[in-house]
Amino acid sequence: MFNKLIENSTAKSPWLYHMNTGSCNGCDIEIVAALTPHFDAERFGCKLAGTPRHADIILITGPVTEQSKDRLIRTLEQVPEPYVVMAVGSCPNSCNVFKDSYSVAGPLEKYCHVDVSVSGCACKPEAIMLGVVKATEILKEKRRAMKK
Amino acid sequence: MSFSFPYLKYALGNLTKKTSCDMYPLKKKEVAPGYRGAIAYDPNKCVNCGMCMKVCSPGAITRTEVEKDGGKEITYRFDWTSCTFCGMCHDFCDEKAITMTDHYEMVGNAEDLVTVATYFKKTPAGKLTVSDDCVFCGLCAKNCPESAITVDRANKSWTVDEEKCVKCGKCISKCPKKALAFAKPQVKCGDDCVFCGLCAKNCPEEAITVDRPNKSWSVDPEKCVLCGKCVSKCPKKTLCI
Repeated sequence: MFNKLIENSTAKSPWLYHMNTGSCNGCDIEIVAALTPHFDAERFGCKLAGTPRHADIILITGPVTEQSKDRLIRTLEQVPEPYVVMAVGSCPNSCNVFKDSYSVAGPLEKYCHVDVSVSGCACKPEAIMLGVVKATEILKEKRRAMKK
Repeated sequence: MSFSFPYLKYALGNLTKKTSCDMYPLKKKEVAPGYRGAIAYDPNKCVNCGMCMKVCSPGAITRTEVEKDGGKEITYRFDWTSCTFCGMCHDFCDEKAITMTDHYEMVGNAEDLVTVATYFKKTPAGKLTVSDDCVFCGLCAKNCPESAITVDRANKSWTVDEEKCVKCGKCISKCPKKALAFAKPQVKCGDDCVFCGLCAKNCPEEAITVDRPNKSWSVDPEKCVLCGKCVSKCPKKTLCI
């Protein structure tokens, strides 16, 4: 019974970890805006975690630059299973205008499976909130699949 | 020892107040006027000039062309996950086939976040022409509903009256030697040309070259997509397809 209680409560409180892989800061600001009382993504139980080791949902912004590539891989290795990767903005999804640049090693799909894509340049906080809600559902399914 | 609750007054007061939160998924939010969201594309207005692809800085627009009977099947694909929502494609579209909607809930798999539309563009028929295979049997003239074709068997001559021809294609299907065909249409420049170069400037495929000092005008039929942009931009109305 106790285990079930933990399971239910974790499903309703996904912790977010925000990672910038060379973003212009546009989407980062929108993520922060989504957590403020005006939009209030925390209604869904989200909390911004300080370390990837506590995180359930990883929000990635930026087109994955050469400099941040190794850090991205290292960070994702530290996240406990199961976790959901969310690509926020056009950059991690496709590198946007930075396609074929010498210093860009993206898109994000090359390095991990992207579960939820949110597009926009920069995306609206509402879209990020919808993405987080969708990610929570995927997280639930992943947890169930792991139990079996 | 004394306890003080400095914020008690505010905490109790706020209990009865309305929330300052937008309550977004429950209450849909209207976007500000002029907001540029997902791209909407009307294939019925598009003339396949390709200007949108040329001005798109992230290369989010791709086009595929499939040759079909009497024309081309053209598919335009607008990738939202690649788009910067700058609105340049909308600004440059002369036919206003591309519009920026207020749809901002672009969430899901990357493959689903696209606008795709297909349309069929008929190649406009050019002048009816005959090849050397012609045996002057006269079947084409017999079957022409407008009596536009005259065949003189004795003199081995074949002529078509362009004024009368309605380009129905009946003669082509009846020809036993398959010698008849519609020529690929071309952009033509009339005598009124002032060599201003506006047609070359507006050509999305850079198919037109205008040499002002030498007063020469030429079009590369290989590059030309027959979009008709030059025809509409010509100030002397001397161009035609």
